[in-house]
Amino acid sequence: MSRFFATGSDSESEESTSADELITKAPGGNFKQSLLLSDDEEDTKRVVRSAKDKRFEELTNLIKTIRNAMKIRDMSKCLEEFEQLCRAFLKSKTIVDKEGVPSFYIRLLADLEEYLNQLWEDKEGKKKMNKNNAKALSTLRQKIRKYNRDYETEIAAYKENPQESADEEEEKEPGDSGSSSDSDEEGSDDGVSAKAFLKKKPEATSEASKFLKPAKGSGDESSSSDEDDEDWGSDSVDSDSESSDEGGEGVSASLAVAFLKKAEKSGKEHVGKKKKTKKKDRPEEEAEEEGGEEGEGGWEKVKGGAPMEKPKMFAKGTEINVPVVVKKLNEILQARGKKGTDRAAQIELLHALAAITVENNLGEGISVKIKFNIIASLYDYNPNLAAFMKPDMWKKCLDCIDELLNILFDNDNIFIGENIAEDSENLITSDQPYRVRGCILTLVERMDEEFTKIMQNTDPHSQEYVDNLKDEGRVCGIIDRLLDYMETKGSTEEVCRIYLRRIMHTYYKFDYKAHRRSLGLQGETKSEQDQEESEGEDSAVIMDRLCKFIYAKDRTDRIRTCAILSHIYHHALHSRWYQARDLMLMSHLQDNIQHADPPVQILYNRTMVQLGICAFRQGMIKDAHNALLDIQSSGRAKELLGQGLLMRNMQERNAEQEKIEKRRQVPFHMHINLELLECVYLVSAMLLEIPYMAAHEFDARRRMISKQFHHQLRVGERQPLLGPPESMREHVVAASKAMKMGDWRTCHSFIINEKMNSKVWDLFPETTRVREMLVRKIQEESLRTYLFTYSSVYDSISMQTLSEMFELEIPTVHSIISKMIINEELMASLDQPTQTVVMHRTEPTSLQNMALQLAEKLGNLVENNERVFDLKQGVYGGYFNRDQKGGYQQKQNYQRGGFQSKRGTSSGNYQKDGYQGKQGGYQRGYQGGYHQRDHQGGGGGYQGGGGYQGGGGYQGGGGYQGGGGYQGGGGYQGGGGGYHQRDHQGGGYQGGGGGGYHQGGYQRDHQKDHQGGGGGGRGGGGGYQGGGYQGGYRGGYRNQNQSNY
Amino acid sequence: MATRKEPSPVSTVAMASTSGTLDSPVKQIQIEGLVVLKIIKHYQEEGQGSEVVQGVLLGLVVEDRLEITNCFPFPQHTEDDADFDEVQYQMEMMRSLRHVNIDHLHVGWYQSTFYGSFVSRALLDSQFSYQHAIEESVVLIYDPIKTAQGSLSLKAYRLTPKLMEICKEKDFTPEGLKKANIGFENMFEEVPIIIKNSHLISALLFDLEEKSTVHDKHELLNLSSSNHLEKSLQLLMDRVDDMSQDIVKYNTYSRNLSKQQQQKHQYVQRRQQENVQRQTRGEAALPEEDITKMFKPPQPPPRMDTLLIAGQVNNYCQNVKEFTSQNLGKLFMAEALQGHN
Repeated sequence: MSRFFATGSDSESEESTSADELITKAPGGNFKQSLLLSDDEEDTKRVVRSAKDKRFEELTNLIKTIRNAMKIRDMSKCLEEFEQLCRAFLKSKTIVDKEGVPSFYIRLLADLEEYLNQLWEDKEGKKKMNKNNAKALSTLRQKIRKYNRDYETEIAAYKENPQESADEEEEKEPGDSGSSSDSDEEGSDDGVSAKAFLKKKPEATSEASKFLKPAKGSGDESSSSDEDDEDWGSDSVDSDSESSDEGGEGVSASLAVAFLKKAEKSGKEHVGKKKKTKKKDRPEEEAEEEGGEEGEGGWEKVKGGAPMEKPKMFAKGTEINVPVVVKKLNEILQARGKKGTDRAAQIELLHALAAITVENNLGEGISVKIKFNIIASLYDYNPNLAAFMKPDMWKKCLDCIDELLNILFDNDNIFIGENIAEDSENLITSDQPYRVRGCILTLVERMDEEFTKIMQNTDPHSQEYVDNLKDEGRVCGIIDRLLDYMETKGSTEEVCRIYLRRIMHTYYKFDYKAHRRSLGLQGETKSEQDQEESEGEDSAVIMDRLCKFIYAKDRTDRIRTCAILSHIYHHALHSRWYQARDLMLMSHLQDNIQHADPPVQILYNRTMVQLGICAFRQGMIKDAHNALLDIQSSGRAKELLGQGLLMRNMQERNAEQEKIEKRRQVPFHMHINLELLECVYLVSAMLLEIPYMAAHEFDARRRMISKQFHHQLRVGERQPLLGPPESMREHVVAASKAMKMGDWRTCHSFIINEKMNSKVWDLFPETTRVREMLVRKIQEESLRTYLFTYSSVYDSISMQTLSEMFELEIPTVHSIISKMIINEELMASLDQPTQTVVMHRTEPTSLQNMALQLAEKLGNLVENNERVFDLKQGVYGGYFNRDQKGGYQQKQNYQRGGFQSKRGTSSGNYQKDGYQGKQGGYQRGYQGGYHQRDHQGGGGGYQGGGGYQGGGGYQGGGGYQGGGGYQGGGGYQGGGGGYHQRDHQGGGYQGGGGGGYHQGGYQRDHQKDHQGGGGGGRGGGGGYQGGGYQGGYRGGYRNQNQSNY
Repeated sequence: MATRKEPSPVSTVAMASTSGTLDSPVKQIQIEGLVVLKIIKHYQEEGQGSEVVQGVLLGLVVEDRLEITNCFPFPQHTEDDADFDEVQYQMEMMRSLRHVNIDHLHVGWYQSTFYGSFVSRALLDSQFSYQHAIEESVVLIYDPIKTAQGSLSLKAYRLTPKLMEICKEKDFTPEGLKKANIGFENMFEEVPIIIKNSHLISALLFDLEEKSTVHDKHELLNLSSSNHLEKSLQLLMDRVDDMSQDIVKYNTYSRNLSKQQQQKHQYVQRRQQENVQRQTRGEAALPEEDITKMFKPPQPPPRMDTLLIAGQVNNYCQNVKEFTSQNLGKLFMAEALQGHN
């Protein structure tokens, strides 16, 4: 308690230095008394009626503001304040009930109304008013009219006898303006002020220590009035205080004594203080008055009176030591977050203070503390969180942080931490380690965020952006230094945080050094700079180290998630496909990413996309397609990747949301090229879809692999006149058309040419390799398409011819054709001696196809019909009960089975999944049997790839066990490694499992999937292309898409 | 205008002899050879592919026999002459024909068909209006494709009285159709046709037959089948799809209906309970509210289209059946011939 009293007396400023360091001056506190004076008659009772006083003070302050606003004709301000006043008045209802409506209140109402009416009449003036003001005027006029109705009698009374009230008012006025004076008189025994301080104090301290956002709202009761005063009093304060003097001396005799004592002095002192924060020139008299004071009073004066000489913050004679500085610091910080505070000046002050500290060798502790505050004030400079810092401010901030880090590195004995209480700080003695409150990590993080914000708000195509981007190096440097520092001093949590920062600055950058090194070109780069550069650690190594630390130590899920994603991204960026994929699968992120917050989701999307592009580079077309499918199919790639906002109706999102979304955007230099992305996706889709379309030309329920690709095709078809392709999409469409005909040369020339090179392919780091891969793929897929499309025309075809046509080596052709035969996509056999493919011509004719389709459709029809019937009969009295349905389906299966055995299983892979899954073991058994009979080159046994047909049900049924032996398919599928042969017992199809590369979590996942699907015989291919992986890959993600974004 | 397209005299026999006991005023249709030729010619000249040609039949009714003695085509509709007045054209045409002493009594209309697809809403509507105005009207359906294959296909249809009733009332709800007890089988009735030639023409035909080579006739023996079947299947499939859709629609409707019924029932029960409680407490019963207002029954899907689709499907099936059975015969014949050689 004594502290507060000390504060109270502080303004009296007698014994200064010995007072505790933590004293925060509450300039607003002085105003507490103004209300006391407002009804000065009751002076003596003040302590008892504190509640009333408080309320009334609030009112008077508001009233004053209104009057000020009236003076400068600021109607909107007036309106605002008036509304506040009404609210405040309502709050003090109880008191008013007891005491009656205070006369000053009535007076204001009356005056205001009169004033407004005047204004209203004044047509000329009204015209001159700006729109806002005019509007406010009319609203206010209406309001006050309505409001005044309630107080008619009082107002009438006042109007009748304005004199009396005016007297009162005048008495009041001196009190109001000279408010600070009585802080002296009332001093330490003033309960109210003490109370006010009590309230104020904790806030003030916390404010000062946190360096965070100004806690404006809290101090309102007392300080807002203060601010208002400052704001509005700019031209009137002087006169006010003068009039107050007059009033004090002249009118109210009873008060005179009190005022005479010290009114003038302290009044001015108060004003002086105000000036200190506002840098306003004041009459000299104050300076004179204050001259007598020593210690703090002294430097207050200097500062206030001569803003030019700010650096001299302490009076000449003062011994500058740590407590003094701390006190001063606190004082400066007091002004923080207040409306009228000039933030720039505050920063200046702090700098000056820092300089003084250095000058006087006060030790590192205090300068660290000041530095902290400087940085915090820099951050505070922008009141709005959404707005970005000015680059130069930010650079200043960088410098400060740099310096701070310097100090910290130079002095081992400084402890900093957020949780060091202000009390336990040790800034003085250098024997013991310094203890300073503050968190450098937070500051750096904030700095980094500001950097991002700056980048977001700079036009990415301007030189400015480049200039700003150059600072990224510094940011990284600081983060690196802090990282070093934290590694020695920080807790694991902090280390994790700073590691994540480091990771976030690394993951998206392509490591050209490492790339070059891996190509063995290092020796060739002669320049010294390059040498130097390449000496640094590989970013891969760094990433690995940092991420692994986080995996091991982090306890917040978010940091780990971000680290994993960044790690994957980095892997993918550097074409380490298997590592990236395994990490993605092991992390199980796909399952729960939809619960993450949007920025993490954006990171996830970016990672997925990068993964897809990586897969493409490696020639894993299917994986590339799967990874990109979700992002591309939504048509909102831009938004999902945080690279721009979609044009949307304003109804769908308001300005607020838009702002939030804008804040999530990824800075331009981290963008993923959307055209590249789309091109990769479309080309992958083309390579998958065209052969598929050719193979399933007659299928009734043909499914699309990629809707988007089909959409592009349709768009292409809709063109009435087809010119040569211009855009990337047109190129792909044209290429697809060529491929449909099996014309790989044309296809190739459409996909890889000058235009596409410059647009897309040259953007890859290993351009030539990618192009080679692409050509190869185009050749292979064209060959397949050709065979699908034209096999019916041939009786036999020589592989030699094919190899010449598609410029593939004979072994490749051989392997492709074999694969097709095994997958029952192509009904043919190879004639080894003559190297020819002999067609079997078991393809159903179009008429047969049609009949099959019709049968299927009729099946549907009957099913639907039954449903109608079920409804009629009620669910229970089933006319067609389940058995019969089953029977029907079996019938259908018969048709299907036969058909499939001819058509091959790859169709099964895609389209049968869901459908067949529903049907029980019987069907499979049946099909198996059918296969056996059909004897399609060991049909059933070969079907590992399809993963479905050779299923368990059939094997359990016995009769054809030989099949299992070959079920691998792994070798053919390019999966490599042994197939997971499982026990095929009984009905359940548990197979699945894939090639050798399924590890850890993925393996588990995969198995689970299959077992879950269990008896139902969930489709899902063996090996890698099948269910588990795809399912996991996408399932989770899709949810996320829908639910969150 | 190849002569081989002319109907061979063999086919003068009535094509259909279904439902001998017709309760309509027309029991038989007698068509002048001229009319048949004119219709065929009309299609040859104007229609191609799936396009449909139409025209007006003229004739007179003798007892229970409708004699069609002449016809004239409707001009093909094009986009340009949107203001073309059909009625005007018909009237003028008939007046002109009257001047040259041709029967000018309007007895129906004809239409070409594509693989037997003619059961449609449009046909139903226009036949209804015809039959409504002139009771004896018939519609002649001419199938050019079958004719091209060697057998003239010309059929005469009328709407059954039942269907007339329904159309008159425009009640196509499921209940309405159920009450009328109408199915796709008894929507249309086929009227037997007799083609009548003057003796002179018959003589000429005999003469021509003598002269015609085998080549002219072997159209009938064409063994290729897949094209025709494929087309038919295609069309059939489309219809089946439509049918499926309709059924799904109906399904949802009936589900909604039953759901609502249940709600209604629950509501009524609750009301009753409440009323009983109120009575025990001695309060007045709650006022009866209009339940139908609270539960608006869902809009029943019109069933007429489904019926028509069913009719069409039936028609296709008949076609296919007919075609295949004939073809099978031909195939056996060809096999036998093969064996002989």
